[in-house]
Amino acid sequence: MSRTNYQHLVTNPAASTSHRIKILKNVVLIALGIILLRLFFIQIVEHNAWVAKADEAHTLLETITAKRGEIYMMDEDEPVAVALNQTTYQIIIDPAVTEKEGIKHALETYAKDYIAVNIDDIYNTEGLRYSIVAKNVPREAADKIAAENLGAVWFKKNNQRVYPEGDLASGLLGFVNADGLGQYGVEGSLNDALSGKDGLLKATADVNKVALSIGKDNVKIPAEDGKNVVLSVDRGLQKGVEEIAVDAINNTAATNASVLIMDPNTGEVLTMANLPNYNPSDYGNVKDASAYINYTTEVPYEPASICKSFAFSAALNEGAMTADTTYFNEGYTTVDGWKIQNAEQRASIYGTINMKTALYWSLNTGSIQALRLLGGSASEITQQGREKLYDYYYNKFRLGQISGIELIEAEGFIPDPNEGWGRDSVYANMTFGQNLGITMIQTATAFSAVVNGGYYRTPFIVKGTMENGELVEKPHTEAIEDKILSDETSAAMRDMLIYNRNYKVRGGIDKPGYAIGGKSGTAQVVRNGAYDDTFAELIGSYIGFVGPEGELPKYVIMVKMWGEGQSIESGDAMNLFDKISNYAINYLKIPPKA
Amino acid sequence: MHQTYTTRRNAGNSFARNHNTVRHTKRSLGSISQIVIVSMLTLIFGLIYVAESTKATSFDYEISKVEDEITEMNAKKDDLAVEKARLNSVATAKNSTVAAAMEDATVTGYVAD
Repeated sequence: MSRTNYQHLVTNPAASTSHRIKILKNVVLIALGIILLRLFFIQIVEHNAWVAKADEAHTLLETITAKRGEIYMMDEDEPVAVALNQTTYQIIIDPAVTEKEGIKHALETYAKDYIAVNIDDIYNTEGLRYSIVAKNVPREAADKIAAENLGAVWFKKNNQRVYPEGDLASGLLGFVNADGLGQYGVEGSLNDALSGKDGLLKATADVNKVALSIGKDNVKIPAEDGKNVVLSVDRGLQKGVEEIAVDAINNTAATNASVLIMDPNTGEVLTMANLPNYNPSDYGNVKDASAYINYTTEVPYEPASICKSFAFSAALNEGAMTADTTYFNEGYTTVDGWKIQNAEQRASIYGTINMKTALYWSLNTGSIQALRLLGGSASEITQQGREKLYDYYYNKFRLGQISGIELIEAEGFIPDPNEGWGRDSVYANMTFGQNLGITMIQTATAFSAVVNGGYYRTPFIVKGTMENGELVEKPHTEAIEDKILSDETSAAMRDMLIYNRNYKVRGGIDKPGYAIGGKSGTAQVVRNGAYDDTFAELIGSYIGFVGPEGELPKYVIMVKMWGEGQSIESGDAMNLFDKISNYAINYLKIPPKA
Repeated sequence: MHQTYTTRRNAGNSFARNHNTVRHTKRSLGSISQIVIVSMLTLIFGLIYVAESTKATSFDYEISKVEDEITEMNAKKDDLAVEKARLNSVATAKNSTVAAAMEDATVTGYVAD
C-alpha cells in the first residue's frame, strides 16, 4: 500500500515571513514612487498653477472704483448739481432665519419707501432663501435697521445715481443703468469723462482680508475719479420752459414737444427740453423707450418752411435778389411736371409780389423763385442754382452734418444736387424744408448764423468742469467760427423775420422795445414713401430770435410739437414760442431799447 | 650610528629653576554650548522679526481702519451733498411755504436810466 506524500503542502514559516516582507516592501516602494511622482507633478510640472493657487489664498485683489463725475447746470452764474452719487443699500434677508415681525417693523419704520416686495409673500413662499426685501435704502436708514440686530439680515452696498431735480431735463441728462454705464443724454455721450478710470489694489492680505504692507509684490494704482461736468443749461430757464411746454401739450393735440434756446452769438445752449419727461432714477419703469430720446440732436426731421430762411439767405447773399425783388405769384408753380402749391391761397397775394411778402405768407412759390434766381434764371431751376443751394445748406449752414455739440447726434442728410432722379423738384422742395433730414440743433445753429451777423458757430452745451468747488470754463478751441453771410444779408434777413411778426406786436403779444423775429414751419409726414396729402399728421415748428430793438439778437428759440396721428399746425408751435419768448425776456432780464 | 644624549637632570634644571610652570592648553566651546547659543540667537532674531512684523501688521490694521473711516466720511459727505441739492432744487423751492406765500408777478417793467 502506497503512502501519499503531503510534504510539499507543509508551510515553511521562515519562507512565508520573508515573502510578506517582500510584498510589503514592494507596496511601500510603489507608494513611495506614487508620492514622488505626485510631488514631481506638483513641484515641477504644475508648479505655476500651485503657486498661483497659494497666491490667491493670501492675495487681496480689489478694483478701486472711480467715483462717477457729477453733472451741474447753471443757476445764473452759480453751478448747481443736477446729478450726484449716493451710497445706498440693498437689504437681503433669509426668511428661514430672519424674524418676520422684526424685519417687517424695521422696514416699515425706517425704509418704508424702499421696500421692494411684499414681506408676507416672501414668508409664505416655501423654501425661499435669501430674498432682496428693500432697494436703494439710504445709509442712515440702513444703519437704523442694522442697529435692530435682527438675525440673517445682510446689507449690500450700491452706488446710486441721484437726480435731485427729479425729472427736470431728463431727455438731456439721460440715466445710469444698473451696470454703472451712462445711457442716453449727457450720461451716455460723456460717459467716458464722467466714469473716470478704476484703480487696482493687489496686496498680501491676512485672514481678515486686511491688506498687509509686508508683501513684496503689493501694487496700488489709485482710481482717477470722473470729471464733474458743468452744462451751460440754465436750471431756472429750463424749468420754466418745461412747465410752459407741458402746459402747451395739455392744451393741444400734441403729445410731445422739444424746445431749444441758444445764444446765437456764442453757440451756447441755454435750454434743451424734451417733453414729456421721465424720472431718470426710475428709468426702468418708463413704458415707452422713445422718452429716452433727445429729439433736439438725435432725430433728423423736415422742419418745413423754416428752411425758407436759409434759401432766402443764400439768394440774398449771392446778390441774386433783394427783399424787394418781385415775381408773379399764381398760388402754385410747376417743377419737373409736379404742381407745387402754396398753403396760403388768399386772393390779395396773387399777382406780382415781393420776396418780403412771400416770406411773410410763407409762400412755396417764393422760396422756389429764390432758388431759380440763385441759379441765374427767373423761370427755371438750373444746375448752378441746385449746386449753390447745396453749397449753402451743406457746406455753409452745415445742415445734414454733425454739429459738434457734446451730445449724441444724428447726421441727417441733404440730397446731392446732381445725382438722382427729379433733382429740380427735390431741390424745389428743399427750399421749403422737404426732401431733407436735419436736426433741431443743426437748424437752430444755422438760423443763429442767419441772424447774428452771418457767423456760423459750433454749438456747445458743456461750459466747463467743477474742480475743487470752482467752475473751470472749457476753452472751445476746436469750435468752428465761419463768416458765411455778409452783414447786409444778415440784417436784411432780420428785418424780414421781424416783419413776419409785426402782427404779434400789434396784438400785444410781443412787447415793444424788442426785436423779435421768427419763421414757422408745418411739416407733412411721409407715409409709405410719399407725403400724406390728407394732412392727418403734421409736425408744427417755429424758430425765432429775441433781443433789444436795434441790437443783435440775444437768444434764438426753436420749438417743435408733434403727436402720433395728430395734426399739429405751426400755429400751436408759434403760441408756445410766444410764451417762451416772453418768459425768457423776463427770466434773462433782457432790457428793451431805452 | 651617532647619537646625542642629554641628561634629564640638566634639562630639568635649566627649565624649572625659579620659574612658574605654565601649561598652555587650547580651550573651545563644546558642541552643546554652540547649539544652545545658535538656538538662542535664532530665537532672539526670530522674536525681533515677529515683533516687527506684528508691529507692521498692526499699522496695516490702523491704515485699514482709517481708510474705512475715510470711506464712511465720504459717504456721509455725499449724503449731505445730495440732501443739500434736494433742498436747493427748484421743485423744493417752489413748494416751500415762502413760495406759497408769494404772489404771481403780472407786469414786468424797466425804469429808464
